[in-house]
This record gives sequence, C-alpha cells and structure tokens, in this order.
Amino acid sequence: MKSWIGLVARLIVGGVDLAAGIAKFPDPAANVRQVRAFDILPEAVVPTVGHVLPTVEIIVGAALILGLLTRAFAVIGALFFIAFIIGIAAAWARGLEINCGCFGSTGVPENPQRQYAIDIARDLGLLICCVWLVVWPRTRLALDNLLFPHHERLADGEQSEEAVEV
Amino acid sequence: MANNLKKQSKSERAQALMREQQRRERTRNLLVVGAVVVAIAIIAVVMVVVSNKKDTTGEAVGAGGTPKNLTGAYSVMIGKSSAPTTIKVYEDLQCPICKSFEEVAGAQVQQGIADGKVRVDYHMVAFLDRESTTNYSSRALNAAMAVLSTAGPDAFLKFHTIAYQNQPAEGSAGVPDSTLVDWAVQAGADKAQVTPLIDDNTYHQWVVNATDQMSKDHVTGTPTIFINGEKQSDLQTGVQKVIEATK
Repeated sequence: MKSWIGLVARLIVGGVDLAAGIAKFPDPAANVRQVRAFDILPEAVVPTVGHVLPTVEIIVGAALILGLLTRAFAVIGALFFIAFIIGIAAAWARGLEINCGCFGSTGVPENPQRQYAIDIARDLGLLICCVWLVVWPRTRLALDNLLFPHHERLADGEQSEEAVEV
Repeated sequence: MANNLKKQSKSERAQALMREQQRRERTRNLLVVGAVVVAIAIIAVVMVVVSNKKDTTGEAVGAGGTPKNLTGAYSVMIGKSSAPTTIKVYEDLQCPICKSFEEVAGAQVQQGIADGKVRVDYHMVAFLDRESTTNYSSRALNAAMAVLSTAGPDAFLKFHTIAYQNQPAEGSAGVPDSTLVDWAVQAGADKAQVTPLIDDNTYHQWVVNATDQMSKDHVTGTPTIFINGEKQSDLQTGVQKVIEATK
C-alpha cells in the first residue's frame, strides 16, 4: 500500500515541479526579477538563483516522475518547498504585493492575500508528499527498482514490508 | 562428527559467499548512483548555461542602441518643470490595467501636462513578452522609443495613446512591425527614419535593461504610480489622485 501511495506522491510532486520548471525556463530574465521581487536574497546571488531555479525544478520533477534516486530528490524537493513557504510567508508578512511566480506567472494578482494563502497551502501539501517519499522511498513503477533490485531493501530494513506486500 | 564439521564449514562458506555478494552489490549500487548523479549534473550544467546565455539582462547597449531624448537613464519626463505635481509611472504597453489607466485618466493627464499642472515621468518597461506569440510587449516599446528618438516626447506621448487604444489581446499574436510603423507615422514620426529602427528592434537591449531596472527599483507590477515620489500602493486611489492633480 505504502509503495502505491509513494507512486502517487511522486507523480504529484514531480508533475507540479516539472510543469513549473518548464513554464519558467524560457524567460530567465523574468525569473531573476521574480526572485528579486521577494526581496530576501542579496542582489549578488539573485541572478544565479533565478537561472538555477527552473533547472532544479525540471530535474527534480523528471527524476521523481521516473522514480530515479527517489529519496535524494525528495530531500531536495522538500528543502525547496520549505524555502518557497518561507519566501511567500515573508512576502505576505511584509505586505508585498507580488505574484509568487510559481508557474512563470507575471503581474500582481487581484487578491494577493488570498493568493499567498493558496500558494502556501499548495506548497505545504507538496512538502508533505516529499516527506513521505523521504521516509518511504520505495515506490511502485520506479526506475530505482530496476537499478537497485535487492540489497538496498535489506540495508533500509524494508525487507519486512516487502515480505508482507509481495 | 566429521559430517557435522563439514556441514558447519559449508554454511560458513555460504555466509561468506553471501557477504561477498552483498559487498559486490553495494559497490555496484554506488557506481550506479555515481553514474546517475554525474549524468544529471551534466544535464543541469548545460541547462543553466543555456539559461544564462539567454538572459542578456545588464549587457551593454551597443552603439546607437540607447534611445535619444530620454531624460533619465530609462525614463522620459514630459511636462513643464514648474508643474507642482510630478507623476512617475511604470507601464508596459501589453498590460491591460495600464490600458484601463490610460482610458480612465489619459486625456486628463495630457491636458494636465499642457496646462502645466503635472509632469509625468514615463518609465516604460516590457516584461509581458510571454503574453503574445511575437514578443509584442518589447517590440512595441522598441517602436515607442524609435518615435521618441526621431520625433521627440510629444510624438512619443501620441504613440503611447495609440498603442493603448489598439492594444492586442493577451495571448494573441500582437501586431506586425508594419502596424507599429503605421502607428509611429500616425504619432508624427518620419516613416523612413523609424522603419529601420522598428524592423531591427534597435533598442531591444535597452528595453531589456529598462525592465530589469524596474525590478531593481522594487517595482513588481504595472501600472505602478508614484505621486511626488510617493508610491501609490492602492491603484484606484492612485488614479484618483492623478486625476485630482491634473485639475
């Protein structure tokens, strides 16, 4: 059962990350401006973060969809969602009227307060999916199962679960 | 007894064999992880380099690439310096709310400029290229700058009005360069002068840098209105105050 839930978690987080990354990738200048709008990071690193972010999202998204190094990428995903939640909450708290830019969107939303709440709720949900995958990284239909057939189950102490399920 | 010993050594041998196999599997898995990580790292580096290359923000504007008749690095002030109220606006020619602002207050603002009641510092930017399939936002601003460069601020202001009146819908193909030339001529520019500037997108790098400057000015959306240096956080009151000031 857990491995099926894991598959769903992988597809949700992976799908959202991949979509967000692909939407952002074509306009790097906009991503830099978006990162700057949050007014948290020092200007020296703003362009780099703006350029790296969509790439990370695409790679984490693709890896999770494929089930490749699931635990490692779930950890990266979780860290990013924590960062996003902090960023959005900070913008909200300081009364900034900005768009989260989550899917390459631009402009100012009609009701920023409501939008902030929705964005944080979504990121919290995705964070929970990531945490699930960090705890139970063995999932169905994952490349990991082909690449690492046996031994890791023993190492992870997941043999018992396997025995019950299979 | 002998049999027993044999059995024990057999199981010992089996255990040793299993340990050896586990050790080999572990090495193999580490190699697989290493290979996957290296492959992903290469893809990531390529993607970031592509992204970096694509973003020309901050690159130097080439010779002739800076519009003429600007009053600031990325702005043009229109109106008498004796005007009691200075309005600063950040606008994108593709932005629908800017169009509404122009519809609601454009005529009064122009009257106010003529009457010496207000002067307006136009910071035109182009961050809505994704809203059309032809990068209309930045092409339209390039055309506006071509008009400013060749025909001066009054013609720029006319072009600004025409562009908002004919603003293409978001998600559309925008308008072709030939239409931008028509608007420029309508605004008072010389066709032979503006056509190459519009066709070659001459001020494009300046437009990119102007847009980046908006973000560095902590302006995150358009239209953003400042009245005598004070940022109007609420757009509706901001527009009201603009109209008030022109009376």
